[in-house]
Amino acid sequence: MSSAIRIGLLRLADSAPLIIARNLGIFEKHGLDAELIVSPSWANIADGLVWNGLDAALVFPPLAIMTALGHRGREIGLHRGIPISRGGNTVVLRGQHLPPFLGTDDVTKHRNFESWRTGLSRRPKLAVVHLYSTHFLILMDFLKSLHAHPEQDVEIVIMPPDRMIDALAAAEIDGFCAGPPWGTEADLHGLGSIVAGSANIHTGHLEKTLVTTQRWGQSAPALTQALQAAIGEATRFCMNPSNSAEIVRQLSSPLANGGLALPREATEKIMPDQHNLNAMQFDFSASDVDLSISWMIRAMQAQGWLTPANMKRLYELGWLTPAPIS
Amino acid sequence: MTMKILLADENSQRAGALSEILKADSSLEVIRLEGYESLISAVKAHVPDIVLVDICRADRDGLDSVRALSSSGLERPVALFVDEDDEALMEDAFAAGVCSYNVMDTPPRDVKPLLRSAIALYRRFQETAAELKAARQVLSDRETVDTAKKIFMRNERCSEAEAYRWFRRRAMQQARKLVDVATDYLRVHTKDDAS
Repeated sequence: MSSAIRIGLLRLADSAPLIIARNLGIFEKHGLDAELIVSPSWANIADGLVWNGLDAALVFPPLAIMTALGHRGREIGLHRGIPISRGGNTVVLRGQHLPPFLGTDDVTKHRNFESWRTGLSRRPKLAVVHLYSTHFLILMDFLKSLHAHPEQDVEIVIMPPDRMIDALAAAEIDGFCAGPPWGTEADLHGLGSIVAGSANIHTGHLEKTLVTTQRWGQSAPALTQALQAAIGEATRFCMNPSNSAEIVRQLSSPLANGGLALPREATEKIMPDQHNLNAMQFDFSASDVDLSISWMIRAMQAQGWLTPANMKRLYELGWLTPAPIS
Repeated sequence: MTMKILLADENSQRAGALSEILKADSSLEVIRLEGYESLISAVKAHVPDIVLVDICRADRDGLDSVRALSSSGLERPVALFVDEDDEALMEDAFAAGVCSYNVMDTPPRDVKPLLRSAIALYRRFQETAAELKAARQVLSDRETVDTAKKIFMRNERCSEAEAYRWFRRRAMQQARKLVDVATDYLRVHTKDDAS
């Protein structure tokens, strides 16, 4: 029985549990020979899962669901996976000292957005990391809260999260919604301001889950438990505030030294912290997960991505518990 | 009828080689994406029938979504080429690092021979890159051991031969590679300098 597992991930701070599990020998301790594959974009993660380039991936539920349903060629029965992180995404708009887009009345919010929008010389280009992402759905709900029209008032573009800073600096885009630490990095460099985050729009939502392919699960059933144990240990490590400095050090190390080459200061600022709404969180209970998936599925239905047959399949795969969605 | 193919590959050597191979077929018109141009704007400007893409391109995900995003400004939908009956071809393509998109509403011609040519070429480049990397690795392994030895000699005030014996003994005791032991030693003993 091979204990090898190829896990795909992107250069994001919420990949921390995987980096920690590998660099601290936690995978090894649980009998797993894990290879972490830092991928250039989310399409590569999806294609890797479908076409045998990966056995597992750290991914947000919408892309895992669309991939499971055969959106990239062949259906692969991805289950809900091991929940890893909550929240941590931020919406950034170009400019500093922007007026508030949250916590004020609807008329003021809309007026503030309009004044930001008309201050640009074009229809604002807002980037998300993939169409089938929590980021896209969060951005849509944010725009809705401002009474902005997602098609007429803005232009949505797609690019990997670690491209956002350069794109904002080069005026390719005027804002974005992305995972940690990229929003904080834009804010620190004065390229833009964080105007909202996961916590304001869908508090505590499931962000990354570690999905494994059926091919891998079937060839090594005992290893699924080993994987769960290793991830559990690594996420507990990541939730402990006394380990933050070590985690930041690992994440900001160069790729060649087993890190993710993330900007250090921005990463420090989004480490798990109960006082910071935009910080990452890695703690989970099963009921949390149910709660935090159902809004996504509803939003995906509203986008017209899921057919009734798809919904049935999602129940079979365990993405939805039998309770009907209202 | 000619078919227009857009090659999106930042590796200009590889793009050049593939373009030469494809141009041998006179029914193909091959366009290479310029370095600064985005994939979507190139598709908009050149209106190709087929787009062959290096899967590592960061703007590939944008092409995936043009059908859903009305804001992309593309009139014709674009879709990842998938042959569900030929899974080996698909797996080979992604393993080699190339994929193909069809721009719809043109009479489809068989894409598979094109994709096969691309796979073969990408594989050759992959092998060369792997050989280079291995060569570089050997070099850097040697550098790591040398650096660790030098620091050990300074810390322990001993000769190079003694330092080497110490690392070798430790590697044998731990059943690990010498370079791994040296890397560990460097990590512990250079932490203060690095930060």
